[in-house]
Amino acid sequence: MKRNHIIYIVAIASFIFPSCQKVIHIDLNSADPKYVVEGNISNQAGPQTIKLSKTVSFESSNVFPAVSGALVTVTDATAGITDTLQEGAAGYYTTISMTGVPGHTYQLYVKSDSKVFTSTCTMPLPVTLDSLYISKSVFGNTRGAIVYTDPAVTGNYYYFAEYKNSVLTNNVYIRSDELRNGQVIDQVLSRGGGESELKTGDYLTIAMQCIDSAMYQYYFTLQQTKNQNAATPSNPQSNIVGGALGYFSAHTVSSKSVLVN
Amino acid sequence: MFTLVFIFSSIIASAQKFTVSGTIKDKKSGEALIGATLVVVNDPTIGVVTNEYGYYSLTLPKGDYKLLFRYVSYNMQEIPVTLDKNTKLDIIAEPEDRQLKEVVVSSKLSNVRNAQMGMTKLNVQEMKALPVLFGERDVMKIVQLLPGVESAGDGNSGFYVRGGAVDQNLILLDEAIVYNPSHLLGFFSTFNSDALKDVTLYKGTAPAQFGGRLSSVMDVKMNDGNDKEYHVSGGIGLISSKLAVEGPIVKDKGSFLISGRRTYADIFLGLSPDTNINRSRLYFYDLNTKFNYKLSDKDRLFLSGYFGKDQLGLGSVFGINWGNATGTLRWNHLISPKLFSNTSLIFSDYNYNINVNNSGFSAKIHSEIRDWNLKEELDYFSNPKNTIRVGFSSIYHTITPGTITGANITTVGKPDNHTWENGIYISNAWKPNSRWNIDYGIRLSIFTVFGGSEMYELDAKGAIKDTLKYGKSDVVKNYINPEPRFSASYTLNENSSLKAAYTRNTQSLHLISNSTSSNPTDKWVATNNIIKPEIADLGSLGYFRNFKNNMYELSVEGYYKYSQNQIDYKDGANVLNNDAIEPKLLFGQGRAYGLEFSAHKTQGKFTGWISYTLSKTETQINGINNNQWYNARQDRTHNLSVVAVYEVNKKWTLSSSFVYYTGDAVSFPSGKYNINNQTVFYYTERNGYRMPSYNRLDFGATRQLAHRKHFTSEISFSVYNAYGQQNPYIITFQDDPNDASKTQALQTALFRFVPSVSYNFKF
Repeated sequence: MKRNHIIYIVAIASFIFPSCQKVIHIDLNSADPKYVVEGNISNQAGPQTIKLSKTVSFESSNVFPAVSGALVTVTDATAGITDTLQEGAAGYYTTISMTGVPGHTYQLYVKSDSKVFTSTCTMPLPVTLDSLYISKSVFGNTRGAIVYTDPAVTGNYYYFAEYKNSVLTNNVYIRSDELRNGQVIDQVLSRGGGESELKTGDYLTIAMQCIDSAMYQYYFTLQQTKNQNAATPSNPQSNIVGGALGYFSAHTVSSKSVLVN
Repeated sequence: MFTLVFIFSSIIASAQKFTVSGTIKDKKSGEALIGATLVVVNDPTIGVVTNEYGYYSLTLPKGDYKLLFRYVSYNMQEIPVTLDKNTKLDIIAEPEDRQLKEVVVSSKLSNVRNAQMGMTKLNVQEMKALPVLFGERDVMKIVQLLPGVESAGDGNSGFYVRGGAVDQNLILLDEAIVYNPSHLLGFFSTFNSDALKDVTLYKGTAPAQFGGRLSSVMDVKMNDGNDKEYHVSGGIGLISSKLAVEGPIVKDKGSFLISGRRTYADIFLGLSPDTNINRSRLYFYDLNTKFNYKLSDKDRLFLSGYFGKDQLGLGSVFGINWGNATGTLRWNHLISPKLFSNTSLIFSDYNYNINVNNSGFSAKIHSEIRDWNLKEELDYFSNPKNTIRVGFSSIYHTITPGTITGANITTVGKPDNHTWENGIYISNAWKPNSRWNIDYGIRLSIFTVFGGSEMYELDAKGAIKDTLKYGKSDVVKNYINPEPRFSASYTLNENSSLKAAYTRNTQSLHLISNSTSSNPTDKWVATNNIIKPEIADLGSLGYFRNFKNNMYELSVEGYYKYSQNQIDYKDGANVLNNDAIEPKLLFGQGRAYGLEFSAHKTQGKFTGWISYTLSKTETQINGINNNQWYNARQDRTHNLSVVAVYEVNKKWTLSSSFVYYTGDAVSFPSGKYNINNQTVFYYTERNGYRMPSYNRLDFGATRQLAHRKHFTSEISFSVYNAYGQQNPYIITFQDDPNDASKTQALQTALFRFVPSVSYNFKF
C-alpha cells in the first residue's frame, strides 16, 4: 500500500497543480561486485537451476557478469541425497536427477574463488491454484485474479510469479494466511510494485508457489527495496549465509494460464 | 537542593512591600496579552512579563511609580500608580492603528534582555502578510523560516529543530499534545491560524514546565474570543474556506469562539475524466472552539477543544480517515495577588481508521493514542527579582496498536499499551542585578511502564528469546530522569548581551516511521523494558546586538547537542506490520552542532529577516554503517531563509520569502543486479548520499479592500515557487523505459508556480 500511497499523493497533487518528473544524473559510487544467488528447487520435473551472477555499478549497462566455475551442490537433507550441479550456460547450474519433494529440507552449498555461501530451505506442502481469471484492481488496472483454498493449518505463504506472454514480469505478488487462514481466497493480484500492465491479447500465466516464511520475508523486503519509498531503503533480507544477495527457495508450484480479452 | 535554598532565601529577602497586579487585555477584543512587559519608568531594570493568561504581579517598596507598558503592535502606555497598599490594576491595551509596523516574528521583550535563549514568538495576526501555499496561512510553515528550524520538505508539515527528528518536537494546542499536526498527508498543518492567539517556539531550551520531547516545544494558544462584542470573520480560498464566530457570553465576563475550516479540493476531483481521481474522496475539516467565563475576580474557567478529521478514499473499496481531538478544561485561580494558580485537565487523542472492501474481502484497521493529563502550576511573583514557578503534570497514555478486524478474517491485534508520564518541576526567573537575567530550574520526569501488553526479552542478536508476562496493573519499569534547565543573559550595554543555556530533555514516546512523507499510519511507541527514554543534553551560547533603537536585531547562537538512546531501524525492517517492533530497532547515540545567524529589521515600511544556519547532525548506532558515525537524514549543512515585507501604502503590502537548504542525507544504490528477470538496486550504506539542494522563492501581495469600523476585508495573492524550481520530492531509480540496457534516476517535484488567491473578511 505504501507505494500506492505515494502514487496517490503525486496523482492528486499533480491534478491540482502539475507536478513534474525528469531524469537526472546522480554521481553514484561503484560498490565492489557482490555475488547474487538465484536458487530454486521446485516439486516440478527438473532440472532445478541455481543461477550465480554479480552486481555491477549503476552507470553500467544492464549486463550482469555470470559466475562460472563455481562448485554448487544441493543436498536433500531429509532423504540424504547430494547432487553436484553442472554448469550449462555460463552462471546457470542445474541438477542432474533431483526433483523437490514437499516437506523435505534442502541445503545449498556454493564455493567460488574461496567464497562460500550456504542456505537451508524446507519445501512447504502443496496448495493447488484452483482458478485464474481477469479482473480489475482497486485502482482500475487490468489484473489477474486467483482462487485457491488456504489449508487449515496456519503459516502458509505464497508467491505468485506472473508471466506475461511467457516472460516473467517485475510484479512481486505475495500473500500470507495471517488474516484469512483456512478460507477460500478469491482475490485480484494487486500491489505488485512493478510497472508491468496487462492488455487485451496478452497471455497471462500465474505460477503459485508455496514458500516458507523466510522466503516470504525475502519477497516482502524485495517489494520494499523496489518501492524506494522507505526513508532507509536497504537490500532484501536474504536467506543466504556468507554475504551474497538473492535467495534459495524450495517451493511447490501450481500454474494456470488465461488469455486477456 | 541548592536550587531550593536559592529560591527560599530570595523569598525571605522580599518582605515589607506592596503588590500591584492585574490582567493586561486588548481594548477591542478583551483578549489577554501573553508576554507583555511592564517596567518601572525610573528604573527600567525592574519589570515584569505577563504570564500565559495575561496576568502580572509586581511587588515594590511603598511609593509613587510610573509603569511603562510595551507590547508588539500596541501603543505604549505610561500608567501612574501609587503603592500604599496592595493594588489591583487591570490594563487595557490599545492596538496600534498602523497595520504592519513591526515584523511577524519578535521576541516581544527586547531580545537583548530576555534570559531565554532559542525562543521565538510568532505574532499570528501579523503573519498574514507572508506568501502562502494554496492560500492557507500556516504557522508551521512560518516556523520553518526561523534560524535553526528546517523544513522537512515540500508536502510535509514536519520540521527539524537543531538536528532533531520530526517526532522530537512537542506540539501543544492549549496545553494538549497534538500527535499528528498535519492534514492531507502533510500539505497543511492542523492549525487554523484564525483561531490562534500566540505561537511560541523553544528550540530545545524550554523552561522546566515543558517536558517530553528532545528538540523543541511549539506552544500554540487559541484565542479566548471577544468578550465585548460579536464578530464574524472568514476567508474564502482556492481549496478551502473558513468561518469564525466570537462574542461575549456575558459582556466582560465570558466569551466564546468557534472557528471551522474545510477543504473542497474533492469537488474539483469529481471533474477529472480519470476514474481513479473522480471516484476519490479527499478532504479535511477542523473545528476550534473555546469558552471562557470569569467566575469571580479571582477565578476564571476556560474550556477549549479542537477536532479535526482527514478523509481519503477511493469509491467504496478503500478509505482511510485520521484525526486529532483535544480538549482542555482550565481553571485560573488567584490565591493571592502574588500567587497565581492554573489547574488543567487535558484530553488528547489521535486515531486512524482504514477500510478495505475488495473482491469479497473487507477489513478495518484501527489505531489510536489517547492521553489524559492533569496539570497544576503555581506562579509566585515573589518580588521584582524573582518569579517562581512550581508544578506537576501527570499524563496517562493509552496506545492501541493497529487492530485488524472484519468479516471472514482472523482478528489481529495486540492489547493496549498503558504508560504513565509524570513530571514535577520548579524554576525561578531571577534578576540579581541590572546586568543578569537568569532562569534556572529542574524537572524530574518519571515514566512508568505498565504491563498488560506484550513485553519481550531479546537475545544477543536482537531476536525474541522470551515473551514476558505482566498483569495489567504491574509496573514493568520506572524511568526516573532529573532534567536541569538553565538559561542566563548578561547585558554588556544598552544594546548588546551575551547568553548561555544548558538543558537536559528526555523523551519517552517515539514515532516509528520509515516513510519519506508524513504518513497518518506512522505509529507512536512508548518506552518499555527494551526501548529506553531518549536523553539529550543541549548547551548553547549566544551574542545579541540591537542597532538604531532596536530597529535592527542581530544575533548569533551556537549549540552542541548530545543525544542518547536514539532509535533507528535495522536494514529491511518492516515497521508497519503488527509484529513486535523491538527486534527491528537499533539504539545508539547522536550529536548535533551548529551556528545560527539572524538579522531582523523590526520597524519601518520595510521589515523582515535573514536567518542562516550552518550545522551538522550525526548518528552512531552499532549495526549500521559498520558502527561508524553517519549523517542523520535531517543533517543540513546550510539553511538560509530570507523574508521581506514591504508596506507600499495603507492599501497594499507586498512580501517575499526565499529558502535555500542542503538536501537531506539519503540512501541511494551503489550498484545493481538482476534477479527473477528484473533489475534490483544494491544498497551499501545508510544516508551516504544527498538529495539535490532545495531552493524556492515565493511572492505575496495583500490589498486592503474595506477598512470601516464594522467591516474590514482584504484580498491576498501569492505565488509559491515563483521561478518554478524543480525541488525533488522523491528520487527513484528504474530501468530506462526507452533503453532496457540502461538504468536511470527519476526525480519527482511537487509544487511549481502555485498561484493562490484568498479573500478574508471580518465584521
